[in-house]
Amino acid sequence: MSTDHFKGKTAVKHVAEAQARGIIAAAEIHGTEIPGSISSATDAARQTVILLLLSQTLLAYWNILPKQILASLFLLSFGWLIWMAGRSAWLGWARLERLHRILEEERWEIEHNREQEREELQALYEAKGFQGKLLDDVMDVLMADGDRLLKIMIEEELGLSLEVDEHPLKQSLGAACGTILAASLVLLFYYFWSTNGLYLASMAAILVSSGLSAHFQGNRLISTIIWNLGLNFLAVASMYFLLTFFHDLGLIQ
Amino acid sequence: MMEPSITSRSSKTKPAIFEEFFGLGQEETASPFLTPSSRKWAAHLTLKAALLAALLLVCSFVLSFFSSTQALSSLVLVFVYFLAGVPSLIESIEDLADFDINIDVLMTLAAFSSVLIGSSLEGALLLVLFSISGSIEDMVSAKAKGSINHLHKLSPTKATVFSSDGHLIERSVKDIEVGTSILVRPGEIVPLDGKVIEGVSSVNLVHLTGESLPVLKTIDDQVPAGARNLDGAITLCVTHTAADSTLTKIIQLVTQAQEAKPKLQRWFDRFSRTYALTIISLSAFFAISLHYILSIPFLGFEGSVYRAVAFLIAASPCALILALPIAYLSAISACAKKGILLKGGVVLDALAQCSTIAFDKTGTLTTGELTCTGIKQLSANEAHWNENEILAIAYALEKNAVHPIAKAVNSYASKKNITSASLKEFKSVPGYGIQANALFNNKELSVFMGHPEYILPHVNEEQKQQLNQELDVIRREGKILAVLMIDTHLFIFTFEDVLRPHLKDTLQKIKQKKQWKLLMLTGDHENNARRIADEVGISEYHANLKPEDKLNHVSELAQKGGLAMVGDGINDAPALARATVGICMGKVGSGAALDAAEVILLHDNLEYLDWLLRKASQTQAIVKQNLFIAIGAILMASIPALGGLIPLWVAVVMHEGGTVLVGLNALRLLKK
Repeated sequence: MSTDHFKGKTAVKHVAEAQARGIIAAAEIHGTEIPGSISSATDAARQTVILLLLSQTLLAYWNILPKQILASLFLLSFGWLIWMAGRSAWLGWARLERLHRILEEERWEIEHNREQEREELQALYEAKGFQGKLLDDVMDVLMADGDRLLKIMIEEELGLSLEVDEHPLKQSLGAACGTILAASLVLLFYYFWSTNGLYLASMAAILVSSGLSAHFQGNRLISTIIWNLGLNFLAVASMYFLLTFFHDLGLIQ
Repeated sequence: MMEPSITSRSSKTKPAIFEEFFGLGQEETASPFLTPSSRKWAAHLTLKAALLAALLLVCSFVLSFFSSTQALSSLVLVFVYFLAGVPSLIESIEDLADFDINIDVLMTLAAFSSVLIGSSLEGALLLVLFSISGSIEDMVSAKAKGSINHLHKLSPTKATVFSSDGHLIERSVKDIEVGTSILVRPGEIVPLDGKVIEGVSSVNLVHLTGESLPVLKTIDDQVPAGARNLDGAITLCVTHTAADSTLTKIIQLVTQAQEAKPKLQRWFDRFSRTYALTIISLSAFFAISLHYILSIPFLGFEGSVYRAVAFLIAASPCALILALPIAYLSAISACAKKGILLKGGVVLDALAQCSTIAFDKTGTLTTGELTCTGIKQLSANEAHWNENEILAIAYALEKNAVHPIAKAVNSYASKKNITSASLKEFKSVPGYGIQANALFNNKELSVFMGHPEYILPHVNEEQKQQLNQELDVIRREGKILAVLMIDTHLFIFTFEDVLRPHLKDTLQKIKQKKQWKLLMLTGDHENNARRIADEVGISEYHANLKPEDKLNHVSELAQKGGLAMVGDGINDAPALARATVGICMGKVGSGAALDAAEVILLHDNLEYLDWLLRKASQTQAIVKQNLFIAIGAILMASIPALGGLIPLWVAVVMHEGGTVLVGLNALRLLKK
């Protein structure tokens, strides 16, 4: 075994950290928040950019004056900021509430159904290769301490890790910062350099936010940035050409 | 021997798929995080995306002809750029980040530049062609990655070990040291090299040595990892750790052979880097210099930048990129219709360069099955036994066995419509033979059948001497034998390998028409090898070869000139991987050999070998013609476009005309 495998930590601490990394990696982003204020900030920035791009394309197509577009985008960003920050906090609290409820249920199970819990634990450790007397000894040790048993059941049975989530308000602050930064950049560039400025700022905001995401999640940098830029381009261009097509058919004036 | 006191966990837990995942280069199709049913979504994803992009491009092209659907055409085109363009863009930027300017960069640059001068359909065409070509390459390389994976699958990851208190426990093979006692049950693969310390059994080494017959292993015999234990439980004392085992050595040999193999790259691949750099540099040079040389503006339709971009698009190697894949795909398709699977078109180039072909014996030149060639009575006083009576007893003894000799006896008896005799007190001795009491003419006779060593203790000195003399003669002839003893009477059954049909004619055609050198490389005995080589007309053969010996022979021959190797077993995998072209029998071939080879004869149709060699020569000729047409079209389109002598649309038509011509020429290869 490599001598620096544990990097100066105990084996238990090493395993705990590995589990924490596992749950972060397994967190699903579709519609939910990755734990972490930076993730919520970069995600909010990308969502803000696409909202502003789509809105500007739509408003410009209907020949609305640039000043009115700017005002509309500002107002939209303000409402969007409140929604993004509030949504992030609410999702965080909802998750925390769910985790607390599961913890309470597991504690009740341990107190009232010890035999069944022992069976569950035995099945878990049998699957890990423990057998015979060794398995019985392990069961006795684990069942002896209620606090330790609860921690093990939460981590082993439910696959949850303790002490990895940030407070919902911190996540919310991240989402608010991401929205403000992205919206400010896009609106400022639009104010000074009109539509080209908006496109340039949007590209820069996506580049930075997706680059940061890739960096913190350890994903491929160039690939992440190009896919994000490509998706934004696809969304805006598709909407624009569909709008033109409907206009050509006379469905939209 | 003590009985196992543990229950195996293997029945309770699902097999780990991590090794397959890493073996395939972390392909999504083997991701342990995906549900098994959803993994198929990841299969050939790049090809699916490329084909969808091609379909959308056709839609966009059709919609562009109608003024009312111009916007819809653009909408569809955006999806084409997304599906085919984003992967190309990522690859190009990553290459540029490594300071590598290649054909990917040129094509991507030309495709995206085309949007600037209003030729976005042409740009999309470039991207689609490029992504189809790339996805086919991905598919081929994914298949190559499976090679080691199959070998790992054969290699057990755990072994049953006797603990100090006599219990049986399962341990990872990586944790087992030399000197440890392990139990190998019937049907299991031997996990580590070892010496038998208890028990007797037959083991099948066909995948390791090419030897088709099971080999008897008794106390003090060495058993290699990867062998399949057939009939008895044996205890082994481990002689090599997992890192040094026979199977690990084969895995290492395959890996080394694949790495050492000269890459089958055409001159086009070497040329492409220089070509890309030249065209990009020239475009940049023209964009700047034409302004001064021809006194034209930088921007606008008559500007130097416009002309430089037009040159870049016209010089983009659209026809060049198409010239090779269509030719190869047509040839691959024609081969597939004949039941020959080729892993990539470049295999045909390599095959056309070969001048020597080497064959494995068992499973390749022969079917791997045995045929009974005769029954010989040993003593004169057995005159009252006729062949049908002998066969009836042999059939009764062997009819439930799966050993190749038993199959040959059963098949021989079936051909002669023999009914099996009645047996009592049937007893099988693993690895040695069978004994029973047969009811014959109202008499109960003791009968034995099997290995000569099994029979010898039951015969008198005179018979022993006679039998040994006879065995020497038969073995010198390269034949395989079994002995039957009925009461005190001895009979010798002789067997031969079954040759594949039409083989001699095919080999003669290859030798005479193509002037190729033929040779045979086998792990089998010298006598048997000589007999088969004589029968099929191969003058040079090498017998008793281990996988590493085969690899050495193949390496030497491949270095001297092109060598094609035909084989089927795991023992052939390193040689197949190292040969200029590896050809594997599809039906009987092991997974590792199938993956290590570039050509797979799906129906073991060796008789199509000479046809395949002709197709390889024909493909090479058409590829050369296509390259000539493609380069001509590029020159004819790009130079006038640069000089402003022809408008861009004419340049594009000439450019695409070359592409169509190349495609049509290549389609000639589809003919059988």
